Amino acid sequence: MSMNRRDFLKVTAGTSGGLVLALSLKGCAGVPTGYDEQSGEWKPDAWLELTASDEIYFTLARVEMGQGTYTGLTTLIAEELEVTPASIKLRFAPVATEYRNPLYKLQLTGGSTSLATSWQPLRIAGASARTMLVSAAASVWEVSPGDCRASEGRVVHPNGQDSLPYGRLVELASKQNVPGDPALKPRGEWKYIGKNRGRLDAEAKTTGAPIYGIDVELEGMVYGVVTRPPRYGARVRSFDDSAARKMPGVLEIFEIERGVAVVADKYWRARKAQEALTVDWDNSEALDVSTDQVFASYHKAADEDPGESERSEGDYRRAVDNAGQVIEASYEQPYLAHATLEPMNATAWYRDSEIEVWAPTQAPDLGRIAAARATDLSPDDVKIHTTFLGGGFGRRLTNDYIEEAAAIAFRVHKPVKVIWSREEDTRHDLYRPAMLHRMQASISDNKVTGWHHQIVGPQILDWYVRNAAPAQYPWAPKFLYNTLGRVGLMAEGIATPKDHSAIEGAIEYPYRVPNLDIRHTHTDPGVPVSWWRSVGFSHNGFAVETFMDELASELGQDPYRFRRSLIDHEPRHLQVLDRAVGLAKWDEPVEEGRARGLALYRSFGTYVAQVVEASVEAGEIRVHKVACAVDCGQVVNPDIVRDQIEGGVIFGLTAALYGDITFRDGQVQQSNFHDYPLMRHDQRPEVVVDIVDSEEDPTGVGEPGVPPVIPALGNALFALTGKRQRKLPLRAEV
Amino acid sequence: MAVSLSVNGVTHTVDVENDTPLLWVVRDELGLKGTRFGCGMGLCGACTVHLDGQPVRSCSTPVEMADGGNITTIEGLAADGDLHPLQKAWIEHGVPQCGYCQSGQIMSAAHLLQHNPSPSREDIVAAVSGNLCRCGTYSRIVAAVEAVVDSRREQSGREEA
Repeated sequence: MSMNRRDFLKVTAGTSGGLVLALSLKGCAGVPTGYDEQSGEWKPDAWLELTASDEIYFTLARVEMGQGTYTGLTTLIAEELEVTPASIKLRFAPVATEYRNPLYKLQLTGGSTSLATSWQPLRIAGASARTMLVSAAASVWEVSPGDCRASEGRVVHPNGQDSLPYGRLVELASKQNVPGDPALKPRGEWKYIGKNRGRLDAEAKTTGAPIYGIDVELEGMVYGVVTRPPRYGARVRSFDDSAARKMPGVLEIFEIERGVAVVADKYWRARKAQEALTVDWDNSEALDVSTDQVFASYHKAADEDPGESERSEGDYRRAVDNAGQVIEASYEQPYLAHATLEPMNATAWYRDSEIEVWAPTQAPDLGRIAAARATDLSPDDVKIHTTFLGGGFGRRLTNDYIEEAAAIAFRVHKPVKVIWSREEDTRHDLYRPAMLHRMQASISDNKVTGWHHQIVGPQILDWYVRNAAPAQYPWAPKFLYNTLGRVGLMAEGIATPKDHSAIEGAIEYPYRVPNLDIRHTHTDPGVPVSWWRSVGFSHNGFAVETFMDELASELGQDPYRFRRSLIDHEPRHLQVLDRAVGLAKWDEPVEEGRARGLALYRSFGTYVAQVVEASVEAGEIRVHKVACAVDCGQVVNPDIVRDQIEGGVIFGLTAALYGDITFRDGQVQQSNFHDYPLMRHDQRPEVVVDIVDSEEDPTGVGEPGVPPVIPALGNALFALTGKRQRKLPLRAEV
Repeated sequence: MAVSLSVNGVTHTVDVENDTPLLWVVRDELGLKGTRFGCGMGLCGACTVHLDGQPVRSCSTPVEMADGGNITTIEGLAADGDLHPLQKAWIEHGVPQCGYCQSGQIMSAAHLLQHNPSPSREDIVAAVSGNLCRCGTYSRIVAAVEAVVDSRREQSGREEA
């Protein structure tokens, strides 16, 4: 263990009462900055490196999983540094405190936060380096820096003729004063922000370049596969590998924390040997639920426990007492798998008392903890290399696959790549939680006077804290990891951010209703759960926007005008609502056999309204068109905004139409794309995206396209059939 | 068993079990990582390659079935260092998001254009409908293929004139 005495004192002092306060303490890692005379490289900060040979490197600390950080964040640097985005070379960040996401105090990519949290720091980083380069050139020319300007990687002399390339200036620039508050370029001078199109990673992703975790190739590498318990929580009692050991290419078979590992010289040989392996599972502590029981337990919990109040306004009880009518509905939403197209995988190599890991991960600092847990090593002995991700959607915030690769590598002393099959990926996911929502509204004089929303289901932090809490204290000894997890949960909402995963998108109920009562009944059936593209918003969005539609229908009002009358105090909501409705030609008759449905929803700070046009044909739901209006503040890359919203629509429709992970006796019933289908090309609707021109600070777009399309489709089907579906996925016939 | 494969114009002999999927031979024996593993059952199309001119799912094609065959992978699509028109269009249109499925999408579209120089939108959608994209890049894929078709039509129109 590489922890020194001082670190240990810090931790023990913390556990004796100070730990909660210590949550904001920084770890011990640091990224070296400054000028290196040997190499001629200048690192003005943790993100940038400029070399004497005119190269510019940008360290990307928010992983690229399709959402566009590779292009979007580079654009911010390029804009202020006055270079073209394509001229910047990217590196993926190692684990270091400088690269933590400031909102989570962890180095993770999620929550549609990358652009919003980088908007100021990265522009300042670029502007700061530019200012120092300009000062350097001005000192060479003995002119005022204010008379020089930067352009296309050069500083231009006041005479407009002479210029010096950045590479020639780096040494001198490094010796300039670091500007405390560098001037950012005024909006009118932007060359790339709001204008840059396309993606910087498009070529690598079009030519088959080996860029994903699964593509990692190391000399002498072997392959590992893991047989995991069919029921979550089961343990290996014994296993018979006598046949498997005789299979060609098999190197080792042994038990690890998460199951039985088979290591072979080739992937297919490992798989074949795995088929010959039999494992006897001890199911005494294994998950034993079936999906029906999950929802029965939710209804029971909802009856017995009104839950914690998460938002209360006015007096809801009184509104009900005075109401002429009370409307009720309850909605059930299933577990959902992430189904990233690149299955979980990681490559690890243990040598010289250190372990290196190559992996597609959304949380490399948690990956370090995962590898440390699975070995005798401390997090400092673990080096994580992040790769491009073949999809993330929250799945790769959990590093169980790194844990496996590290455990195997620690034993075999060779580079080993662990690849999950699709079946394993589907069955050993951490799922979007199944949730129950009980809704109630009071109506008086044809007006909604009260809104009651009881959310029933688990909290994700309960599952995530296991490695997240230790990742905040990488210097903590491993015997404290579980304690840290427990303390982390106790500190939730006090010293660590409150876990909003169950209630997000419900507590921000935006409509003008005077009496609100929004609650969460916390109950957990034991199924592993995690974040999933828009998580809480995905199920709360369905509940809120379906119930709004039910109320409109009960009151005999048009769903658009009903919402509009209750949201006219929120100009950004109103604008996207009006624009989506205009785009969809809401008031014009729809083609025979089709109907339209609407939803309006803000998530991750971004406002989205969607109108879905759907029909039922030959016993199948057919989605024809989705009109979207989006307000995400200042747009950095219009193509990527459009694509993320459209991608969110496809992702949301996949959930609405097909998404259903079910359990029987503790086992997941689905396995591959035949029984957990994704929307295909020929099922795709036409998606139109209207982006609001805004000067507000940018907000995320990776997730906000998902939530509204699910209720919008349900509402369209209600308009079509007159039958309300209160359970997902939606059915063609009810 | 020893299998002889011509991959992107180069002949290789590999010695693997005959039921080994072509996918793992291409990726791990020949080091061509652009062909991707997604499902192992021919359901997602990420592993699409051309075998004797036909698009096949290499994850569920035993290598013995490819013995003596001519295989083209995404890495072999470019000719003399010049990217295939589809690859250029993919870049131009910024098609990929995570990008993991795109090799398969391009291989399916490339096969279509080889056999049908002037496909309709329905033809295009049909040709790529077996290729799943979790990110939802479908509309850009169709637009990129159509751009190639349109520019070819324009070119052949000019040549005729």
